Amino acid sequence: MNPAVKRVFGLGLAVLLVIGIVFAVFWGRFFGGNESPGIVPGASDLTVVSGVIGSEKKPFFDDPDVKAIFAEEGLSVEVVTAGSRQIATSVDLTDVDFVFPSSSPAAEKIKRETQASTVYAPFYSPMAIATFKPIVTLLESAGIASKDASGTWHLDIKAYLAAVAAGTRWSDLPGADVAYPSSRSVLISSTDIRQSNSAAMYLSMASYVANDDTIVSSPAAQASVIDQMASLFLEQGFSASSSDAPFEDYLSQGIGSKPMVMVYEAQFLGRAMSGDGAITDDMVLMYPGPTVYSKHTVVPLTDAGKTVGQLLATDPRLAKLAALYGFRPADVSVFNEQLKAHKLDVPPLPVDVVEPPSYETLESMIDEISSRYDTPAPSTSTDPDQ
Amino acid sequence: MSASRLMRRNLGFVGALTAVTLLLTGCVTAGVTEGTGEGLPNDDQTLRILAGSEVKDMVPLLERAASEIGVKVAFEYVGTLEGTELVASGGADGKYDAVWFPNNRYLSLLPGASSATTSSVKIMSSPVVLGLRESVAKSLGWDATAPTWVELAAAASEGKFTYGMTNPAASNSGFSALVAVATALSGTGSSLTNDDITAVTPGMTSFFSGQKLTAGSSGFLADTFLANPDAVDGIINYESVLMGLDTPEPLTIITPTDGVVTSDYPLTLLSSADASKKPLFTELTDWLTEKKIQTEIVKQTNRRPGVPGVDTGSTFPDGILFETPFPNTLDVANTLISTYLESVRSPAQTIFVLDTSGSMEGDRLAALQQALKNLAGADESTAGGFAAFRSRERLTLIPFNAMPQPPTVIEVPDGDKTEALSEIRGEADALYADGGTAIYDALTTAYEVALDQQSERPDTFVSIVLMTDGENTDGATEVDFENFYRSLGAEKSNIATFVVLFGNGDVEELTRVAELTGGKAFDALNGDLTGAFQEIRGYQ
Repeated sequence: MNPAVKRVFGLGLAVLLVIGIVFAVFWGRFFGGNESPGIVPGASDLTVVSGVIGSEKKPFFDDPDVKAIFAEEGLSVEVVTAGSRQIATSVDLTDVDFVFPSSSPAAEKIKRETQASTVYAPFYSPMAIATFKPIVTLLESAGIASKDASGTWHLDIKAYLAAVAAGTRWSDLPGADVAYPSSRSVLISSTDIRQSNSAAMYLSMASYVANDDTIVSSPAAQASVIDQMASLFLEQGFSASSSDAPFEDYLSQGIGSKPMVMVYEAQFLGRAMSGDGAITDDMVLMYPGPTVYSKHTVVPLTDAGKTVGQLLATDPRLAKLAALYGFRPADVSVFNEQLKAHKLDVPPLPVDVVEPPSYETLESMIDEISSRYDTPAPSTSTDPDQ
Repeated sequence: MSASRLMRRNLGFVGALTAVTLLLTGCVTAGVTEGTGEGLPNDDQTLRILAGSEVKDMVPLLERAASEIGVKVAFEYVGTLEGTELVASGGADGKYDAVWFPNNRYLSLLPGASSATTSSVKIMSSPVVLGLRESVAKSLGWDATAPTWVELAAAASEGKFTYGMTNPAASNSGFSALVAVATALSGTGSSLTNDDITAVTPGMTSFFSGQKLTAGSSGFLADTFLANPDAVDGIINYESVLMGLDTPEPLTIITPTDGVVTSDYPLTLLSSADASKKPLFTELTDWLTEKKIQTEIVKQTNRRPGVPGVDTGSTFPDGILFETPFPNTLDVANTLISTYLESVRSPAQTIFVLDTSGSMEGDRLAALQQALKNLAGADESTAGGFAAFRSRERLTLIPFNAMPQPPTVIEVPDGDKTEALSEIRGEADALYADGGTAIYDALTTAYEVALDQQSERPDTFVSIVLMTDGENTDGATEVDFENFYRSLGAEKSNIATFVVLFGNGDVEELTRVAELTGGKAFDALNGDLTGAFQEIRGYQ
């Protein structure tokens, strides 16, 4: 091709290109108009309500049935996710209608700071431990776990803390040579304490037990338990920032990777109800004694936010949908019925439940543990779409 | 036809045009482009991914993704450590939409990393294990009972087996193995600390006395082993790589029972990515985690599935894969790498053959001088620090123009390196450009020096770096050199030549020379000599 022809050819391509782009933009503008934010297809008269929520509730808010119920009330609820600690501290709440953290301490702090008049706690989930049959058997023989009359497994946190303090390996437990011949320390995997609420809930229950069954509320009490608490997190090595990650490792990589993971009960039960085959017969949901409730609490910042909180707290259809994702609504029968409908055992209501420390005490313990990592706590970004 | 499909087609045309301009730097296929930097196609159906070279084997499946769901991928490959540093520093912003490394653990330790990334989806997994010749495994009883790392270290120090492993500062598989070995030797059952590293240094030295082959990437290590399967008894690599390796003698895969580090290949969206890329990311990760695609991944790549509930039949051995806890601080990770480089591994002997012909005058010579000085302590970044000349290393400079200059030998002592490094910087400053280009005379001299140095210190890794900016004008020809090289004894096979392509160097010819010697050509045609030298350091 001679240069002149090449140039003309190139020009032709460029013109075609411009026409193509103009056409595409035009077409997109006039016929693809359902992509602008805040407008649900065919329902452009809805009021957009924006919330910042803990990531574990994102699938619930994404559920088309949940969206439909809000739409009936004229609302389109848009959520971004952030860790409960971030919601309480660093997330910019300008133009946000409500926040929905996973813990009552974080909600209390936001309520105080924003002077919100009411809060709604539409559902909760006890902390639990996702584990495996060979593991609970080993722990039982070591006197750390036990099975109650209903067939539910319980982890004795006091005995567990003693085992960790003694540097117990799995291979030290009777029967481990066959069941789980690992030289790793007996240790629950959690999320990164510097970033995630589920790890803070774990700290809440462990510090209660370490402090002679008393909620930590003074600097002296904190000082007496903090070394032991720090080792629960530091000795794990690398841990992920969101509660999905260790649970997904548990599901996909199994017992060799994550013999015990601290989870929200809802994660495990919601997955079992989803019927995707991820929860196998070998897996066990064990309850720590004591456990802590993760109370998912709506703090409304505007009237629209208040409406969302009210609906979540009062609409029985939303309660039923929340139960489908494994959360326990205020009316526990809704939760029980969902489990029965999915042919799952209904776990008894935990009786050994403690309150987490105050927001300030919890933060102070987390700060102290964070300082023992050598790198500054990573700053987590808010993912606007997740 | 729906509106969005039509729009895609128009913009796909833009992508195709951009891709054509890329032909110089990369190869273009229907759904997957492989290229570099600013040249990657960036349209609304292409996800630009900075990736470890490990995921190259996903290209056929990604081609299928492009035809089934219309999401295209443009890859640029980079070492895990170098790539993660780029992401954490913000250097990946605007150039790539996503990253795909064997794992994100090192990345998560870097300040700035968590704000640089958003969604992350694990696609598949593979543990780093040892593949050992069947007969050797059998003679040690490891075919019947898998050993621990502690037992492996004892056997290695007694000379019972030798192996190759990648450089942990350059490649994730080497780093993973290093973490598993050090953690197992520490015997604490928990994550490694700095105190543990000091305590296990003698044990690590035992284990790594068996390492007789090094490489800058897992793929290169596998290729080198295939080309010369008698050089070592086995290699440490991903289970997936070892399963796919067609060696003359079958390999027994040895999974140490006291823990392995598994890579989980998280495809990760960058925070800086344009909003239009998010749906592409979601579509692609949804597709890749579908069970039928996961089954294909297992079949095509020998990796374990990334999601639960995928039936893998008898593809993988039974038995529990015990996962080693990964360090949770950057300091521990970096201390572990530098301990390996400075005290544990066998030292390197490195011969630099440097073109100082007249055409190097000016910027080119200055770039060469700076690149050398960066390796001698002038570059203070982490990657620069790991690339620097190490304790116990012997360095030889052979500048050449119409003929090779006499070699300058510098010993970096065990301990204070200051004086040696300053001597190297002085030698770099003293270089001047003049005269012709006798590439093959200089390379012949280098091999003579290298063979002497190797026989003098057999427990070292000897390699040659050839940097030239032009064509051979004086002395021996390529054919002469090839004849000379082939006349050398078997001991030459451990001495590879790494070629830096620079200026007007003859790309094809120099690549042939690199491949003849079991080395590799590195591209510095864009002028980035420091980058090329740093990358080569991973191979030495």
